[in-house]
Amino acid sequence: MPKPDNLQGALELLTLKVLRRGPNHGYAIAASIQQMSDDVLRVEAGSLYPALHRMTEEGLLKSEWRRSEVGRRARFYQLTAAGRRKLEADEQKWNTVSAAVARVLAAAGNL
Amino acid sequence: MSLWSRIRNTLSPASYESGIREELDFHLEMDRRNGHDAREARIRLGNPTRIEEQVRDVRIATWLESWLLDLRLGARMLIKYPGLALAGGVGMAVAVALAAGGYGVMTNDFLSPHLPFPNSDRLVSIELWDSAGRVPERRILHDYQSWRDNLKSFEWIAAFRTLHSNLIAPGARPESVRVAAMTASGFQVAGVQPLMGRFLKPEDERAGSPSVIVIGESVWRNRFAGDPGILGRTVQLGATRHEIVGVMPEGFAFPVNDRFWVPLRAAALPADSLTGPDLMVFGRLAPGATIESAQAELTAAIARAALELPRTYARLQPRVTPYPLAFVGMSGPDDTTAALSPQALFISLMVLVCLNVAILVYARTATRNEELGLRTALGAGRRRIVGQLFLEAFVLSFLAALGGIAIAALALRQVASATLSLAADLPFWISFRLSPATILYAVALSVLAAAIIGIVPALQATRRRLQGFRLRGAGGMRLGKTWTILIVAQVTCAVALLPPAVSGAWNDLQDGIAGTGFAAQRFLSAELSMDAGRFADRQTELLRRVEADPQVSGVTFSLTIPGDERDARIEAEAGSGPVETKFNRVDLNFFEVFHVPSLAGRGFESGDDAPEASAVIVNQPLAQALFGGNALGRRIRYTTGGPAPLNGEPGRWYRIVGIVRDFPTGVSPGMRGTNLKLYHAAAPGQLNPAMLAIRMRGGAPGAFASRLVDIGQSVDPGLNLRKIRGLDEALRSEQWISRLTAAVFIAITLSVLILSSAGIYALMSFTVSQRRKEIGIRMALGADWKRIVGGIFSRALMQLAAGAALGLALAIVAQHASGGVLIGENANIVLPLVTLTVVAVGLLAALGPARRSLRIDPREALSEE
Repeated sequence: MPKPDNLQGALELLTLKVLRRGPNHGYAIAASIQQMSDDVLRVEAGSLYPALHRMTEEGLLKSEWRRSEVGRRARFYQLTAAGRRKLEADEQKWNTVSAAVARVLAAAGNL
Repeated sequence: MSLWSRIRNTLSPASYESGIREELDFHLEMDRRNGHDAREARIRLGNPTRIEEQVRDVRIATWLESWLLDLRLGARMLIKYPGLALAGGVGMAVAVALAAGGYGVMTNDFLSPHLPFPNSDRLVSIELWDSAGRVPERRILHDYQSWRDNLKSFEWIAAFRTLHSNLIAPGARPESVRVAAMTASGFQVAGVQPLMGRFLKPEDERAGSPSVIVIGESVWRNRFAGDPGILGRTVQLGATRHEIVGVMPEGFAFPVNDRFWVPLRAAALPADSLTGPDLMVFGRLAPGATIESAQAELTAAIARAALELPRTYARLQPRVTPYPLAFVGMSGPDDTTAALSPQALFISLMVLVCLNVAILVYARTATRNEELGLRTALGAGRRRIVGQLFLEAFVLSFLAALGGIAIAALALRQVASATLSLAADLPFWISFRLSPATILYAVALSVLAAAIIGIVPALQATRRRLQGFRLRGAGGMRLGKTWTILIVAQVTCAVALLPPAVSGAWNDLQDGIAGTGFAAQRFLSAELSMDAGRFADRQTELLRRVEADPQVSGVTFSLTIPGDERDARIEAEAGSGPVETKFNRVDLNFFEVFHVPSLAGRGFESGDDAPEASAVIVNQPLAQALFGGNALGRRIRYTTGGPAPLNGEPGRWYRIVGIVRDFPTGVSPGMRGTNLKLYHAAAPGQLNPAMLAIRMRGGAPGAFASRLVDIGQSVDPGLNLRKIRGLDEALRSEQWISRLTAAVFIAITLSVLILSSAGIYALMSFTVSQRRKEIGIRMALGADWKRIVGGIFSRALMQLAAGAALGLALAIVAQHASGGVLIGENANIVLPLVTLTVVAVGLLAALGPARRSLRIDPREALSEE
């Protein structure tokens, strides 16, 4: 199963995208990515948590402790204004690049 | 992450890490709840310790990376904009040098020095001040004895007086040394144990007990070659041999700067209220007592004394202050405030300089719009951008602070070497060195500076950017109103502040290189004192023998050297006055020896020097000021509450018997005060110490110094002669202060001028580069170049004119409000000169960018889209 963290920047982009829907904890973020990708992308804790903390450090996310759906305390992450801008920019960039890659692959396939 | 939680995480990593652990535990539990058994969930999670480490590494790396990046950017900006770096850097360095140097010396050496004694903050000085609070009353032997016996706030109370004695050793020329005649309790106050032997005991203070002395470690090592059998050997001071009973450890120079301690024998001294020699009294607070409680107890004690002796005590107020203050002239009621007020001035200068730099930085930040926009698009928050600009500014302000510290260190070294001749009389804790606290203060100032020059423009820039930073019309982005106002305010400040600085620089420079106004280089001066009786006879004999020397053409004495007269306040019989004046007590032949011509009346005659005599001589300016010139036979008296000579009781009338020409008129320690002078006659023995002035027939006066000491010794070994130096040198001894202040004023003037012009330059450059396209189009359409340049110039000119007019008005108002003191008598020259210079410098600064606008190629400008 491919891991999004092998694609540079992809994990960050997906995390931002998932959090766009609202604050959530690390487990839920990983589960959402896995679920939305129909189990294609699996996020490992060893990649997810360092990334979440780095993004918090960079000001893209902010975090706070809240009561979770199972009643236990969990750290919830939330997009900041800078995170939202970053998401827009990265999403656009990703689309441009992936479209370009698709074009190259298509062209190469026709050779 | 907020700054606070960031600091908290850094300070307390444990709680942060337990947070990560909790997060991972939660992850495990969720996995289990979703149908994975415990073992499976652990495998899926991976090694939690490794994840924790990774998180930690990521945090530190991100943090460091962003800081390092910002610092690197800051350094690159300095290289890219050297003009800004130089103008801003020099200005800030000057401001930091003044603020940190001033603060350092003020706190380390004067207000709160560190004294090497146990619990040194418990040490206090105890003084009586006259009710006007202007001079301390030091004849307090009687009061000392009463305080010692009655006050509960002090664990120990001690008193001392400073003597100058001849240290006499066989085969060597006698050397004048400083001796502290101190009560034994003084050593208890200090709380330092002797290196060898003992310190003084109360028995040593009794009349008739053997003469003993305690010496310092340096005396023991240098003068007695560290003799281990030193105790019991003797030292001859003047005519008395003292047995050495103790050696104090290295560095112990208590109470002021002393290496010799003899007991203060109070029994031999007059002990009525306000009689006897000048004493300093100090103590150690009792456990539980505070300065305030001690002050209250003492105030009550003086109030009780005033009930018994109202004439003596009603005008006196006790003051209990931290020990060092009384020894550096800071124990007066307003002295601390006065000492710190320049600090407020220096910090305002710093803020003014920083605002100037902020203008420059803002103009630069605005041109970096694209770069900042890019960073925002890449996800940098406003805080991140502001942080970046702060760090960039900090690189500049920190380098400037380093420069400022270097300047301050150099200046302090100058001060230290200039005061070297005074070093033996300065309190031992004064070093004129930069302490770590001072350097920390300078760094704190650089943070303040970075906050102003980085954050203010950054907030402005980011706010505009968030609103959408669009090109507006042909003019492009313009600097906002705020900044136009700042430029005008900046020119206003320059025109308003520079005149006092320029005038100060001019006056101080003149004083710093001025001559003495008379043939001072032909005089040798010396301070003469004697501890025991028969001083009058001995002094008369000394004067006779000196005058008989073939190298000498005349000798005289006075209370202070001419030019260093003391302050007093007097009023005239007819009701004019009171006026501030200076007084001196002089030998009968004083005016003849100094060749001061008498303008009216007579000189001093024998009989005028009797204590009850009322004859005084005044100088011509005093006669003019109080009596319109016709002063002979008129009477004056010292006002109550003001300073007065010791025998010049308030209320007693003195008759003017002569008028002399003003003297000296050149440089001297007292030249900044009033030039009204008043002279009393004094007989040998009345002034202890007395200042001798010896007029030489020819040759350098310094060559006579050793001869003078020999004559003194042959008259009496107890006669002490010190501070033997040319009168010229004595008068000029404070001239370096004028040169130093002149240098400070010049540095302020230059940095304000440079910054002003740099601000205008930056603004003009910015305008021209923003209007490139517009100018290109106009030139392509054949517009007259004069109109284009004129248009650019007019903005600068308007701001300059507005600022200059406002500043000039402010300066004139301030000059009038201060009664003409602020700028001084040169105001009519200085004001227009400064205004024209600021405007000219501003126009010059505008010239470069204006010329650049002419070189704009319309084709290039239009194709730049």
